[in-house]
Amino acid sequence: MVDLTQLHDAILRGDAKKAVAVTREALAENASPTELVSKHMIPAMDEVGRRFECQEYFVPELLLSARAMKGALELIRPLLVEQGVASAGRVIIGTVKGDLHDIGKNLVASMLEGAGFEVIDLGTDVAPGKIVTEILERKPNIVALSALLTTTMPFMKSTIEELRKAGVREQVKVMVGGAPVTQQYAEQIGADGYSDNANGAVAIARKLVSG
Amino acid sequence: MQLKLISCEIFYRELCAAVSRSRNTVDIEFLPKGLHDIGCASMLARLQEVVDRVEEGKYEAVLLGYGLCNNGIVGLTARATPIVIPRAHDCITLFLGSRQRYFDYFNSHPGVFFKTTGWIERGDSRGELRQLSIQRRIGLDSSFEELVEKYGEDNARYLWDEMCDLGRNYRQLTFIEMGVEPDDRFERQTREEAASRGWDFERVKGDPSMIQRFVDGCWDEREFLIVRPGARVAPTYEDDIITLDQL
Repeated sequence: MVDLTQLHDAILRGDAKKAVAVTREALAENASPTELVSKHMIPAMDEVGRRFECQEYFVPELLLSARAMKGALELIRPLLVEQGVASAGRVIIGTVKGDLHDIGKNLVASMLEGAGFEVIDLGTDVAPGKIVTEILERKPNIVALSALLTTTMPFMKSTIEELRKAGVREQVKVMVGGAPVTQQYAEQIGADGYSDNANGAVAIARKLVSG
Repeated sequence: MQLKLISCEIFYRELCAAVSRSRNTVDIEFLPKGLHDIGCASMLARLQEVVDRVEEGKYEAVLLGYGLCNNGIVGLTARATPIVIPRAHDCITLFLGSRQRYFDYFNSHPGVFFKTTGWIERGDSRGELRQLSIQRRIGLDSSFEELVEKYGEDNARYLWDEMCDLGRNYRQLTFIEMGVEPDDRFERQTREEAASRGWDFERVKGDPSMIQRFVDGCWDEREFLIVRPGARVAPTYEDDIITLDQL
């Protein structure tokens, strides 16, 4: 039997090859996909998050751990779908109109995937109308918006207004983030959640889907 | 009028030219470019320290040559002398002459990065500010070699693509010609950089009139915020960009 602490450690160390290899071996030995995720992988990502909060880990470590997690999840996800296991929630994420910056957005997307969310990444420079269309088609629980510039932040507000006009605002929770964005601004534009870092974004997303 | 001008060195040539033509007597103090990268609390602390050193009663106003600049002026407080601040997200409004022109250009050119003389010849990328920058602190400005050393070849390649490759975030360099250039060296350099990155290049004529109004004391409140003694700067994230936060 493969030692599953190796899966936990590979994700914690950001070793994607090892994480994938151990997962493959475990699945071949008929390990339970849900147990792999809930007992080994998500706890590893939670530990990554904790280390980030304590400043033992920084952005590169987050990215590498999320990549290892993603690699392992790709093997497991089809099995979860087969078994009808629900994700932690569905998130539509994108950088707002006019803004092509995506490092923070990608990091949040990876961390959310690592926490078991289904993430639909709309990329950058996403017009408010596109988000409305995606909400209608994909029925997400959460819309996550990113902006790096104070010049593009106002598009967060106009996106929320567009959701309201289209009558879909109440169907989703909206969370916002990005270097210049603040809790105060999030409240000012009527967003439901804000975090100043990718790990915090996971906690907010969990709270939004459970509340 | 006797004025004190505290400004980012990004405006070095433009402000010197404007001050030389002004009827006002303007004492200039330039601060290093790159404060916008050290985090808003650190930038504010540095600006406030310089503002607080201004001799009381000597000047009619302190001119602050900054935009909102990543929220780096949020919380700045006027002491005995009023502070005049352009209503601008960043320096590009002042180079293009109005925030409406900046807004229109920015929205019709997603992924544009601007260059001027100051953007090219100012700022020390290896100096103290680089070490303090957020990019440095979270590892975004690492070299590929640094990443390989720390994380190994395969991980380094992934991190480089994810964090350090600007190609996804920008697709055009625009050189703003302000009329303070000695020859075409700055434009040429921008054109070459755009070509080497495979980005589009455009040259546009700048408009120094807002900078001139700034140093001449033509402070229309739609264009400039006047921070009275005791008041403090707050962002609006609306068209007027900044406002007063009463103490």
